[in-house]
Amino acid sequence: MLSIFGNHKPEQGLQELEKLSLFVDLNRREMKIVDGFMHERNYLKNEVIFDEGEEGQAIYFIRSGRVLICRQGQTEKPIATLERGNFFGELALLDDAPRSAQARAAENCTLAVFFRGDFLNLMHSHALIASKIALQLARHLGARLRSAVHAEQPSL
Amino acid sequence: MRRERYHSGPLVWLAIVVTTCLLLFLFQKILWLVVPFLLALIGYYLLFPLQQRLVLGGMSRDASAAVVSGGAFVVAGVVILLAFPWISSHLVSWQDSAARYIEGGLRFIAETLAWAERNYTFAAKARLSDQLTQQISELGEKFAGTYLTAAALTVATWLPSLLLAPFLAYFFLRDGWRFKMFLSRAVPNAFFERTLYLLDQVDHTARLYFQGLIKLTLLDALCLGFGLLLIGVSAPFVLGLLTAILAWVPYIGSILGCLLVVLVAATDFPGDPAMAYAAIGLFIWVRLLDDFFFMPMTIGRSLKLHPLLTVVMIFVGGAVAGVAGLMLVLPLLGIVMVLGETVGEVVTDPRLRARHVFAKALMHRQATRDLRL
Repeated sequence: MLSIFGNHKPEQGLQELEKLSLFVDLNRREMKIVDGFMHERNYLKNEVIFDEGEEGQAIYFIRSGRVLICRQGQTEKPIATLERGNFFGELALLDDAPRSAQARAAENCTLAVFFRGDFLNLMHSHALIASKIALQLARHLGARLRSAVHAEQPSL
Repeated sequence: MRRERYHSGPLVWLAIVVTTCLLLFLFQKILWLVVPFLLALIGYYLLFPLQQRLVLGGMSRDASAAVVSGGAFVVAGVVILLAFPWISSHLVSWQDSAARYIEGGLRFIAETLAWAERNYTFAAKARLSDQLTQQISELGEKFAGTYLTAAALTVATWLPSLLLAPFLAYFFLRDGWRFKMFLSRAVPNAFFERTLYLLDQVDHTARLYFQGLIKLTLLDALCLGFGLLLIGVSAPFVLGLLTAILAWVPYIGSILGCLLVVLVAATDFPGDPAMAYAAIGLFIWVRLLDDFFFMPMTIGRSLKLHPLLTVVMIFVGGAVAGVAGLMLVLPLLGIVMVLGETVGEVVTDPRLRARHVFAKALMHRQATRDLRL
C-alpha cells in the first residue's frame, strides 16, 4: 500500500540539478541526499509562484518552462525571464525576509523546490553538504552584488 | 504586500484546546496503538542520523532503513539474550530486595506516624498508625488475588502491541520522506510554502520534544544519582534513572519517584530517619532544578508554551485521559498548536485564497480550451 507514496523522481531530474551552479561542488552521493529533499511542483502559465513582500521559505529550480520575475503585478515590464536550469528565490535559504519581487510562470512549467527548513536540517545532519551549498550561494550573491555595484558606478 | 505577523485569536486557541482534548480522548481509547507509535517515533529520531550516514555512504534509502532497523533489532535481541541469564540468576535476590525495601519503607512511615502521635495530640486522636497498619494488612491479603492477576493480564495484552514499535520505526525510516512528499503533493500551489513550513514545524517540534525528553531524563538521572551517591544510598544511578523515567508522567510520576527514593533510603539506613529526609530533600531539590532550569532548557524550549497554559493543560489532560493524558498532553498540544496557528494563518490570508481561486480558474480554462460551444 505504501507504494502509493512511490518515488517519482526520475534520474534525469537529478542530472539536471547536478549542473546547477549551486550544487556544482556536490558529488553524486551528496546530490542524492539533496534530491531527497526536493519537491516537484507544476505551475500553469500566468500562475503566481510567489508574491513580492511574501515571507520566503524556499528556493525554486526551473526543470522546464520559463518564469517571469517582476514587480508586483507588472508582468509587462519583467525584471528578468528565467529558463530551464536557472534558479530564483535563493535569499529564502538564508532567512524569512520578504521576497523582493513577484515570480510568475511565463508558460506552463515544472519547478523543483528546496525548502529552507530542509536546508537548516541539512546543516545539522550533513554539515559538509550544507557548507558546500552555502559557499556557492555566497559566491552567487557576491557576483550579483558586484554586478549591481558595477551597473550603478560604471566608471569605477 | 507584506502582512503583519499573524497572531492566533481566541477562536483559534479555543479550537486548539478542544482539538487537543478530543485527540486525548481518542488516543486513550486506542492506547495500544498510540504507545508503540510513540516508541517508534523515539526510535525513528534516534536512528535517523545513522540512516542518513549510510545514504551518504552510497546506500539507497530503502536498504539503509532495512540495515539500520535490522541492526537495532539485532542489538536489542543480543542484549536481551545476554541479559536473560543474568536477570534470571538475580530474580530471587531482587524479589527479596523489593520485599525488604517495601518493609523498610513501611517501617519508616510507621515510625514517622508514631513520632507524630507522640508529639501532636491531633495525630494521636486520629490514630493514624493503627489505621495504616490495618489498611496494609488488608492490602496484603487482597494483593495477590486482586492486583497480581490484573497486572499479569495487562502485561499479556500489551506485549504484542509493543512489538509493533520496531516495525513502525522501520516503516517511518523507509517511507517517512515519501509520506511527507505525498502530503505536500496534495497541497495547492498557493498554500504550498506555508504548508511546507507547517510540516517542518511539526517535525521540528516533535524531534525537539523527544530529544529534549531524553536529555532531561539523563540530566535528572545524573543529578539525583550523584546526590544519592553522596548520601550513601545503594545503586544510586539505577535509582536516579528509574526516578527520571517515572517523571515522564507529570505529578504522579514525581510522587512515585519520591516514594521509591524514600523506600530505598529508609531501608539502607533503618535506624536513621534523617537519611530518608535527606533523600526527600535531595529529590525536591532535583525536581526544582528540573522545573526551573532543565525543563525550560530542553522541553520548554521546544514547545514554547506559556507556563500557565502548560499547568492548566496538564490538569485537563489528566481529567480527560488519566495517566495517559498526563503524559501525552504536552507533546500533543505542541503539535496541535503549530497546526492550528498555521491553518489559521493560511485560511485568514485573502491573498493566498485569491491566488488559489485564480489558479483553479487557469486550470479550468486550460482544461476547457477546446470545449467551447
